[in-house]
Amino acid sequence: MLKKIFIIIKKDLKIDLSQGHMFFSVALYLISSIFIVYLSFGSLGIKDLNTWVSLFWVIILFGAITSISKSFLYESKNRNYYYYFLFTPTELIFSKLIYNFIFLSLLCFVAFGFYSLLVGNFIKSISFFSLFLFVGAFSISNCLTLISAISNQVRNNSAIMSVLSFPIILPILLILINISKISVSYFSWNLVEDDIYLLILLNIIVLVLSKILFSFLWRA
Amino acid sequence: MKWIKIACIILLTYVTIAGFLFDVPELPILNEAIRVMFFHVPTWFTMIFLLFISALNAYYFISKGTINYDLKSREYASVGIFFGILGIVSGMIWAKFTWGTYWTNDPKLNGSALSLLIYFSYFVLRGSVRDQTKKAKISSVYNIFAFAMLIPLIFILPRMTDSLHPGNGGNPGFNVYDMNSQLRIIFYPAVIGFILLGIWITKLRLRLRFLNQKN
Repeated sequence: MLKKIFIIIKKDLKIDLSQGHMFFSVALYLISSIFIVYLSFGSLGIKDLNTWVSLFWVIILFGAITSISKSFLYESKNRNYYYYFLFTPTELIFSKLIYNFIFLSLLCFVAFGFYSLLVGNFIKSISFFSLFLFVGAFSISNCLTLISAISNQVRNNSAIMSVLSFPIILPILLILINISKISVSYFSWNLVEDDIYLLILLNIIVLVLSKILFSFLWRA
Repeated sequence: MKWIKIACIILLTYVTIAGFLFDVPELPILNEAIRVMFFHVPTWFTMIFLLFISALNAYYFISKGTINYDLKSREYASVGIFFGILGIVSGMIWAKFTWGTYWTNDPKLNGSALSLLIYFSYFVLRGSVRDQTKKAKISSVYNIFAFAMLIPLIFILPRMTDSLHPGNGGNPGFNVYDMNSQLRIIFYPAVIGFILLGIWITKLRLRLRFLNQKN
């Protein structure tokens, strides 16, 4: 199973590398939105921690929706039939999930670099925040992968993807923003403990649901 | 089926009369406004109950593949959302008189508004697919996923932060300690009555829909 997952990831990676524009287009999207934030706040800049954290995650969310909505788009109908005989749905959804996670965490670090360069850096403990970026990228891509599989079945899916994903991803995003707000200045395990447990619980729920529900979706 | 209607009419008549006329305990801040509890809280209970049945029917559709389950799932969701809107409106009117504003940035209010948004997008999803079986399959999957994400949104997230809402953050309200027998004898019938009303409305809508489908 693991071997097959790696095969799909490798194939996706090869397609993206050969086309090249996919990663850079989303990175450019993020950078230009960061630049808009930077310009709109003017010379004063962001002085407030809450604004900094919230804007950062909102920018990440927009980038994530743009990138993950394409994760099933390149799969043509004929290739889907081909997959149908080769892989189980579990292998397919997990490989897409892992690929999206790698993609999104790269994007997160690019965005974080530019964001702290332009808007300013409030982070006291870089090590925790970098670790937390991975967690955030995983939670967001985990939730959005199933939704992108759903919206891929609809014909005009660019609008549907954002309509479906915004309300559903909000609990996860709120927890991410909450944890970052607390941990940015002085990290203390006691303060973030409950939020982290809740985040883990949500991730497990979403993971199990995507495994079960995708097999039904895939059969069509 | 008949007992649902009779029980619903009797219970709701009793609740309407008793809810406005019976004595209620005097609590600080709330005073007479506590009477909204007999109408506001049961509508939320009804919404959760109907949405649960909707998700259950979505699951039945996925496992058995009969299209009727999908229709049931849709109707239960739409009536559930109707009760959710009633809950939000009654809560807003109450908030205007108690807090002085229709809407505040409160986790409970935002959670309830978001749950409505999730189900509105469910209807958008249904509207955007033409083919009936495909529509049923996609929307059932989304329905189950949405209901699973609704639980933390309504039950867990608001409890992790302080809230203005009665029953949270030391505000007097509807929690176990303040709920005396005076309130209970109206509140429990109200919950059952509103749930029965929700089921009744859904059954009527389903009958209409099945008839339309036959013709």
